[in-house]
Amino acid sequence: MKALEVKDIVKQFPGVLANDSINLSVNKGEIYAIVGENGAGKSTLMKIIYGLYTPTSGEIFVFDKKVDIKTPHDAIGLKIGMVHQEFMLIPRFTVTQNIVLGDEPSKGIVFDYKKALSEVKELSKKFGLKVDPAEKVANLPVGIQQRVEILKILRRGAEILIFDEPTAVLTPEETEDLFKTLMKLKENGKTIIFISHKLKEVIAIADRIAVLRRGKLQGIVEKGKTSEVELARMVVGRDVVLKIPKAETKVRETVVSVRDLTVKSKRGIIGLKEVSFDVCAGEIVGIAGVEGNGQAELVNALIGFTRPVKGTIAFDSKELRVITPFNIRKKGMAYIPKDRKMRGLVLPFRSRENIIMGQHTLYPFSKNGVLNNIEIDKFTTKKLEEFDVRPRDIHTRARNLSGGNQQKLILAKEMSMEHKFLLASQPTRGLDIGAMEFVYHKLIEEKERGMAILLISLELSEILGLSDRILVLYNGEIVGETTPDKTNEEELGLMMLGLKKKKRVTK
Amino acid sequence: MNSNIPFLNASIAQALDYTAPILFAALGGVMSENAGIVNIALEGMMRFAAFFGVWGSFVSGNPWVGLLWGVGIGILLGALHAYITVKWAGDQIISGVAINVMAMGMITYLLESVFKTTGYSPPVAYFGAPASKVHLTFLKGIPILGAFAELTILIWFALILVVVLHFVLYHTVLGLRIRAVGENPHAAETLGVNVFKIKWFAVISGSVLAAFGGLALSLGTLSSFTNSMAMGKGFIGLAAMIFGKWTPFGALGAILIFAGAQVLQLFMQGTATGFAKLIPLGFYLSLPYMLTIGALIGVVGKAVGPASDGVPYKKES
Repeated sequence: MKALEVKDIVKQFPGVLANDSINLSVNKGEIYAIVGENGAGKSTLMKIIYGLYTPTSGEIFVFDKKVDIKTPHDAIGLKIGMVHQEFMLIPRFTVTQNIVLGDEPSKGIVFDYKKALSEVKELSKKFGLKVDPAEKVANLPVGIQQRVEILKILRRGAEILIFDEPTAVLTPEETEDLFKTLMKLKENGKTIIFISHKLKEVIAIADRIAVLRRGKLQGIVEKGKTSEVELARMVVGRDVVLKIPKAETKVRETVVSVRDLTVKSKRGIIGLKEVSFDVCAGEIVGIAGVEGNGQAELVNALIGFTRPVKGTIAFDSKELRVITPFNIRKKGMAYIPKDRKMRGLVLPFRSRENIIMGQHTLYPFSKNGVLNNIEIDKFTTKKLEEFDVRPRDIHTRARNLSGGNQQKLILAKEMSMEHKFLLASQPTRGLDIGAMEFVYHKLIEEKERGMAILLISLELSEILGLSDRILVLYNGEIVGETTPDKTNEEELGLMMLGLKKKKRVTK
Repeated sequence: MNSNIPFLNASIAQALDYTAPILFAALGGVMSENAGIVNIALEGMMRFAAFFGVWGSFVSGNPWVGLLWGVGIGILLGALHAYITVKWAGDQIISGVAINVMAMGMITYLLESVFKTTGYSPPVAYFGAPASKVHLTFLKGIPILGAFAELTILIWFALILVVVLHFVLYHTVLGLRIRAVGENPHAAETLGVNVFKIKWFAVISGSVLAAFGGLALSLGTLSSFTNSMAMGKGFIGLAAMIFGKWTPFGALGAILIFAGAQVLQLFMQGTATGFAKLIPLGFYLSLPYMLTIGALIGVVGKAVGPASDGVPYKKES
């Protein structure tokens, strides 16, 4: 039985053909993955199915019946549920309030919260999704929040569950948990549509995989009949070197040295404990670890957002007594933040404005407080070319760039600043393969130019492929130091979970 | 001390009279902003309603007709604000300012053209007339409670409304949806909640509450409209709403701090002896504001409103 079928779906946005006659059919009870780069049209297609967008033309069939989905309400009525990339949760509400909203148990006009609580408890038991129904969503980790989202749509009787890039925000463990959940849902006869650009995940979980590229369906492959490399070729449309190019390492003088750094987390507890390490010119030091084990605290201390409780940070063998973003940048630090939209860019600003931020007070961009627009435009045009930011238009607002191009713009901004130390915090987070590759090449280039690079990443393949040395953070401490040739993903994984320690060779 | 009881009661009653219009405005703000629409037009809406209330009462000789006129203009203004901010996702501050400016000019004009007077209207039948008050004679003579013996119906309505609004917001399905829409309209939308309908409802009902605030001024405290109305009371209501963290009881508490200082001032004016007499009156007058500043600095903690308050909501296309 077919759970969902779309025929000749076309969606035309001003200037972009987001979906170009797409035909798909999903069987009941299967996990169906749709992969493609950012901007390939995956999310658009899903939003059409969920009634958030109206297709320009095309037909949709749900359980073999032709349907017309105009609003999410219609979709819910057809037993289609969606777990959005950005969670649709209300942090101030409890788990229960979030789940029952819009279809609340009531006595007359009065909201029957007690009944709602017990309903949620039952639901969570039925599907084996553990949550505390009375807890405020704001207090929950991301993985559990996602569980709340899933419960929310299950309560609406969803038979077809759409997951829009569900693992983008999850830690590896949470991803494992999610996959277990998906398998359970499948056992329960639910149909799952899984959108992703992480090929490894898709190969692991999906029964069938549809590949989209530039709004067109490239092909459909069955489980076990493809490899990551083959899939990557379909996604990108050419051969992709997933392997990271190795560069020769010529380590020179120490640029940054951190000693006994202890930093409090946002919640006020110690998040980083007496961490010491050096980063030298011409090397990439990788920091591996599960998210939330001290990375944020380390980054915030290095850029001067948080004042350390204890410990020192030295730049060029000179200890910095007070660190502010201003003075550390003046010393020569560039910073690629993990959150492009928050720290990386001013979204309403144009490319030409974003790209000079941080150097806007310097010659030739400004003189006596007056911006030199001619120089800025020249500079921007050159950099957009050099960093392959698309569109090449210097007037495009950052908000309207795709994720990959936003990241390229950040790289252009940071790498064109005078610097000797680059702090790259999850520089490929949420990027598609093409953009990832670009970031890798740029990092290698930086290294060859003799920059000292500290790379924080959750992706082990990235850490192993790029780093000259690897430090493993667990629970705020460095539990091991190694080099890529002396370790593997498994060992790093164990260390990241605190199950294995490795003596540090150097400091 | 016994001889002071009637005086204390009278002071409290006067403070409650002062409380009611501000409380209505604050509750109007609570309603609207919990659904995510900022309403700085509370002041202007009060002014409109104060005038139309007097007009209605003038024409009919019945304050209840005045009340209906006031509520009617409240609905119209609410619909205007909602039309701009909900239907067209316009800027809520600009819409609010526009209504306030309109209230300034239009009402001054109407005052002159309807009543042929400048500055104030002739007296009309009002709720504050001794016969129209709610008489609870058995309370008379009891300290503090005695203040409630002879209040206008509007003051009682304001106080009861605090409880009603609390119940609606926190114990009904509608309230859950209102708050959901103010926190994350997109989430509410994906669950099939009609965001626009809820916002329209909240803005209009909030505006009606503000209208009651205006009526409490012109048909409750006074029996006529004066051109200086609403004298910033709408804005004080707005501040009380923020101070009270966007909750009905919080707003009431905030206003009671103002009113408490008012009582103290009135009471001290009449009865202070010895050292207390030496403290200048201005000190008591400034007390509520000093308390507010102190509270906002950190005693009550950070005041955080609904997450999507003031953010225009547009559907994806």
